[in-house]
Amino acid sequence: MRQRVSPGLLAMLPVMALILVGFALPILLVLLYSLMPPRTFSLAGEPTLANYWAAVTEGYLLPLGWSLLLAGLTTLLCLVLAWPTAKALVRFAGRFATLATILIALPIFISESVRLFGTALFMMPGGGIFAGSLNALFGLKIGSILYTRTATLLGMVYIHFPFMLFPMVLGLSLVPQDQIEAACDLGARPFQVFREIELPLALPGITVGTLLTFVLSLGANAEAAILGGQAVIVITKAIEQRFGYAQDWPSGAALTVLVILVTAAVIFPVLRRLDLDRLIRR
Amino acid sequence: MTTSGPILSLVGLTRRFGEIAAVDDIDLEILDGEFFTIVGPSGSGKSTLIRILAGLERVDSGAVLLRGRAITDVPANKRPTAMVFQSLALFNHKTVGENIEFAPKMRGVDPAARRARALELMDLVRLPEAYYARPVTRCSGGERQRVALARALASDPEILFFDEPLSAIDYRLRKMLEVELKDLHRETGKTFIYITHSLEEAMVMSDRIGIMRAGRLVQIGPPLEIYQQPRSRFVAEFMGEVNVLRASEFGVAGEGWLVVRPEQLRPLAPGEAADVVFEARIVNDYLLGSRKQFHARADERMLIGEIAVAAASVPGPGEPVRLGFDLGDAVRVAE
Repeated sequence: MRQRVSPGLLAMLPVMALILVGFALPILLVLLYSLMPPRTFSLAGEPTLANYWAAVTEGYLLPLGWSLLLAGLTTLLCLVLAWPTAKALVRFAGRFATLATILIALPIFISESVRLFGTALFMMPGGGIFAGSLNALFGLKIGSILYTRTATLLGMVYIHFPFMLFPMVLGLSLVPQDQIEAACDLGARPFQVFREIELPLALPGITVGTLLTFVLSLGANAEAAILGGQAVIVITKAIEQRFGYAQDWPSGAALTVLVILVTAAVIFPVLRRLDLDRLIRR
Repeated sequence: MTTSGPILSLVGLTRRFGEIAAVDDIDLEILDGEFFTIVGPSGSGKSTLIRILAGLERVDSGAVLLRGRAITDVPANKRPTAMVFQSLALFNHKTVGENIEFAPKMRGVDPAARRARALELMDLVRLPEAYYARPVTRCSGGERQRVALARALASDPEILFFDEPLSAIDYRLRKMLEVELKDLHRETGKTFIYITHSLEEAMVMSDRIGIMRAGRLVQIGPPLEIYQQPRSRFVAEFMGEVNVLRASEFGVAGEGWLVVRPEQLRPLAPGEAADVVFEARIVNDYLLGSRKQFHARADERMLIGEIAVAAASVPGPGEPVRLGFDLGDAVRVAE
C-alpha cells in the first residue's frame, strides 16, 4: 500500500458507510419494489409502472393532498406563532429566556405518542380534562374537537412548534440590535423594520425552521391517528396500510416514492438558495 | 454658523440605571446650526444622553424640547434627527446605495428621486459614484464612515447625532475625517451634536464643548475658553497633562488649586525670577515635533513642562534645572 489516503476521506468513511447502509440502500430497495408487479414480494419480477398508475387513479391523491395541506397549514401556523415567541426570547426575556427555552424544549424528550394521548385526554368530550373541569367547576358543558381535522392540525402544530422556533431564534439572534435601532432612527415603522432588517437577516434560520417543520409534518401520522380518529387519512397512514394490512409492498413503495418526489420538489429549490454557512459562522 | 435661538432644549433630564444616574438632571440649550460636542470619559453617561436625544432611550424625568415643542415621548422614527452610530450600524445585507436611500425609501420617495439624492450625497461625502451598487461589506473603514454619514444625511434631519463614530479609526484617517466633518457642517448648515472621549477631537471641530462627568455637564463653553479657563481640576486634567498645585502652598489665599499648563512652566536662566520657583531635576524628556516636553522632579513633586525646541536648550535627563511660573498665568480652580 504505497498510495496515501487523505485523512479527511478516512474520517468520512464511518458516516458514509452508515448513510449507504441506513439510508441509500433502503431507498433503493423501495424504488425497486415500486417497479415490481402488484402484490408480489420478490424483486425478480418484470418491472412495471402499474403501481404508480394505480396510486394516481385509485384515490391515493386525496391522502397525499391532505398530508400536503396539513403540513402546509402546520408550517404556516408555526411560522406565525414562532415569530413573536422567538422575538420575545431573543430581545426581551433576558434571564427568563433560558428557563423559557428549557420549558419549550423539554417536551421533545417525551415520546410523541405519550404527549398526543395526553392532548387527547385533555380534549375528551364531557369527561376530558378541559371539558370535565369546566363542567365540574362552572357547570359549563362544551363540545369537543377531538377526532376532527382541527384537532389533528392543533396536534401537529403542538408537536412541531419547537422545530420552527429554535432555528428561528438562532436566525433572529443574528440580527444586530444596532441595525434595528438605526432603521428606527432613519424613520422606519415597526413593520418596515421587520421587512427591511429582521426578515432578511433572520431568513436563514426561518428557512431551516420552515423546511424542518414542513418535512416532519408531511411524514407525521400519529397526530391524525390519535387526535384525528377517522376524520382524515394522511398519506403516511395509507402507505402503512399498503405495506401492512393490504400486504401490497410494491403499491406502498410507489406511494413512498411519490411522497419523496413531492418533498424533494418542495425542498431542493429552497435549499439551493439557502446559505447555511451564514447561520453556522456566527 | 447661524444662531437663531435654541433648536434643542434639555430640561432637568434624568435617566437612572438602578442606583446610578447615567444622566443626572441635565439642563442644556443647543443653538440652531451649532456644532456641539459632549466630551467625557467612558461611563460618564454621554452615550446615554445622545441616545435619549435620538429617541432610542427613555427618560426617568425631565424633557427634551425641539424648537420649544416637547418631543420627550416621540419615538426615534418620528424625530427629525439622525444618528451616526459608534458601530456605524450599516445594513450589511444592502448595497451602498440601498443604505443611503433607506430613509427616503421608508418615507415612500420614488426610486428615481431617491437615487438622485443618494448620488448627490455620495458626492458630498466624497464617495465615488461607482460605489453605488457595491455591497457595504466590501467597503473600507473610511468608506463605511462616509456611507454612514450619507445615510444619516439622506433622512434630511434637522439635527445630526454622532456617537463616537471615529473612535475605531486610525489616527491619520481620523484627522482627515474630522476636517471633512467640520467642512460638511459648514456646507449643510445643520446642527451637529457630537460625542467623543477625545477632547482633541472636540477642539478641532466644535463651536461649543460640554464636559460631562458622572451624568452631569460640569462645564460648557467654546473650546478656547475650556482650554484657558477650566473651572475644575477634572476639566483641567481632562484637557491634557497639566500641573495641579495646592493654592495655599504658594501664598495664594484661600482653598483651591492652581492649574499650570506645561507651556507656562519655563526653565529659568540663572538669576531670572518668577513668582514661583522650583529647584528640580529632569527625569525624562520627549520630543513632540516642534516642541519638547519634559518631566522634572522637585522634592516629592512631579512637574511637567513644555518648551519650543528652537527657543532654548533644556538640560537632559538627570540634570538639575530651575523651573518657574507666574501666578498670573496659572488658573485658579475651586475643586
